[in-house]
Amino acid sequence: MYVELKDVNKKFKGFRALDDVSFSIDKGKLVGLLGPSGSGKTTILRTLAGLVHPDSGDIFIDGKRVNDVPASKRGIGFVFQNYALFRYMTVFDNVAFGLTVEKKDKKFIKQRVNELIGLVGLEGLQDRYPHQLSGGQRQRVAFARALAPNPHLLLLDEPFAAIDAKIRKELRLWLRETINSLGITSIFVTHDQDEAVEVADEIVIVNGGRIEQKGNPADIYKSPATPFAARFIGESLVLDRHETLHGFETYSGYDRAVIRPELIQIAKHGKQPILHASEDGIVEDVFFRGSLIEVHVNVKGMRLIGHRSPEEDPLLPGEKVSVLIYRLYLYNEDKVHLAENVRLKDENTVFI
Amino acid sequence: MNLANPAETANRVQEKPRDPGKAAKYTLIGLGVAFILIMLVLPLITVCVYALKQGWDVFSQAITDPYAIKALRLTLLATVVAVVCNTFFGLFASWAISKFHFRGKQFLTTLIDIPFAISPIIAGLVFILVFGRIGWAYDFLQTYDIKVVFAVPGIILATIFVTFPFVARELIPLMQAQGNDEEEAAALMGAKWWTIYRKVTLPHIKWGLLYGVILCTARALGEFGAVSVVSGHLRGKTNTLPLHIEILFNEFQLTAAFAVSSILVVTAIIILILRNIVEFKGRKEEGEHVR
Repeated sequence: MYVELKDVNKKFKGFRALDDVSFSIDKGKLVGLLGPSGSGKTTILRTLAGLVHPDSGDIFIDGKRVNDVPASKRGIGFVFQNYALFRYMTVFDNVAFGLTVEKKDKKFIKQRVNELIGLVGLEGLQDRYPHQLSGGQRQRVAFARALAPNPHLLLLDEPFAAIDAKIRKELRLWLRETINSLGITSIFVTHDQDEAVEVADEIVIVNGGRIEQKGNPADIYKSPATPFAARFIGESLVLDRHETLHGFETYSGYDRAVIRPELIQIAKHGKQPILHASEDGIVEDVFFRGSLIEVHVNVKGMRLIGHRSPEEDPLLPGEKVSVLIYRLYLYNEDKVHLAENVRLKDENTVFI
Repeated sequence: MNLANPAETANRVQEKPRDPGKAAKYTLIGLGVAFILIMLVLPLITVCVYALKQGWDVFSQAITDPYAIKALRLTLLATVVAVVCNTFFGLFASWAISKFHFRGKQFLTTLIDIPFAISPIIAGLVFILVFGRIGWAYDFLQTYDIKVVFAVPGIILATIFVTFPFVARELIPLMQAQGNDEEEAAALMGAKWWTIYRKVTLPHIKWGLLYGVILCTARALGEFGAVSVVSGHLRGKTNTLPLHIEILFNEFQLTAAFAVSSILVVTAIIILILRNIVEFKGRKEEGEHVR
């Protein structure tokens, strides 16, 4: 356990920003704190950094309780959401700032800063000011600045929020590779699940100041632990009459269900091989999304969304289709249950 | 129906004068220029003309008069002290208001504006009521033999009071716009407050600060109302330049009055030029770094 939070609570003017937050992170991991805005993920990050002081609970970094250690002594590198670069300093001075404050030897500073500027690929831009850089370059400067004093823990607050969608993907990969090659334990905050899934080794889902689930992206995707996680992850749709669907009549005790496009197969009417397990539906809308086609289908008054390959026969709005639902995530107030299509199971046993 | 008939709309467009902008433009410029000529330029020229009316000798005699020089010295002293005090006050107040959250912040911000809102003569009267013979601090001051009213400290206090919003008012919006991120980032790297202030905050506010200092200087040099009340008009002792001019004027020494006035006019023009340079440079740099 390299970083650990134990029952951390924080209130801002009566608003519960952190509600008994406990989780831990192993050394060298790249962890994403994922949650909607206002969920408390940035507060967690700022608490770790020492910019916010918890009302109760303990924070451990490298086995040491750091609650009373000032922010600057925690050995943390912090990348701010808008980078907070010093706008009246050059790229070189920005990166050198932490080392200058530590009164390091000038020669050493020069060498270290140049090394970092090389690492982030900004050679030749040392003398530029932040306003002369693109969003992606600014992020790299912020990253280099945070790394300069050799922190044990790197914290990044929405590192990609201020960057164009196009470069964002490229930067994600770059950041992941760089952090992995440095081996530095890192935590980043994001509200974008694609980003979390793509970049993080582990995801911590935060909602309403509480930790909902922690795990690797695939596990969180496959088996959401809480109703919120089920709704939040993936392109989730909430259904309220799941018991009327073929194959799910027998599940009881759950009020609602979450369904995702990958849990549905949509075929031309009658072309569905396992007919008795599927539903009839009417196509409402068809959207071309490049690599896939998104189909909105009305099944028993509920709108379902599924994907089809552009290679398959096109569907038209108003067309009758067969919809096979493989799985649903059923949930009530506090439980989630992964429900398989019962009729599909019967079929399988017959085949075997 | 709300929708106008398309044909009707087209007609209305055609009815418009061909170039509505031009007439309005020249009328407005003309009005502006006329106003400035009559209200500002003419009086200034009059001052200079009157000052030199009886020849250079009379002019130089008026401005080298020992009382005039003493008045000038006192004015400069009051101005320098007021500007230094108010610069410090402005730096601290703007820092407190923009970087910290505390109860009564809004109230403090409003209080800073009081000298702008009330008449300087009331400011002067307040000092008389506090430090004067009838004031509640009089006995205390008397025991330690400190003179405030009708003495130099009173003049300095009155000048400080009248000019204290200038620097703070300039800096508060600037620092609020900057936010706390950069300071926070610097603090997280272990920088002490002085380093943060010098390297992060100050570069951002330096032009605004200079601008505030210039405005403050201009106002302090010309202060009349509050100073007039607390001064007691003791020639050579508690007379500032504006008060000296008033005395000369009341004694019908018009040429001398205008000659001394011309000193203030010239300094005012120099300050205006400085102000414009600072404003221009500040805007330019701001435009570069804030994006």
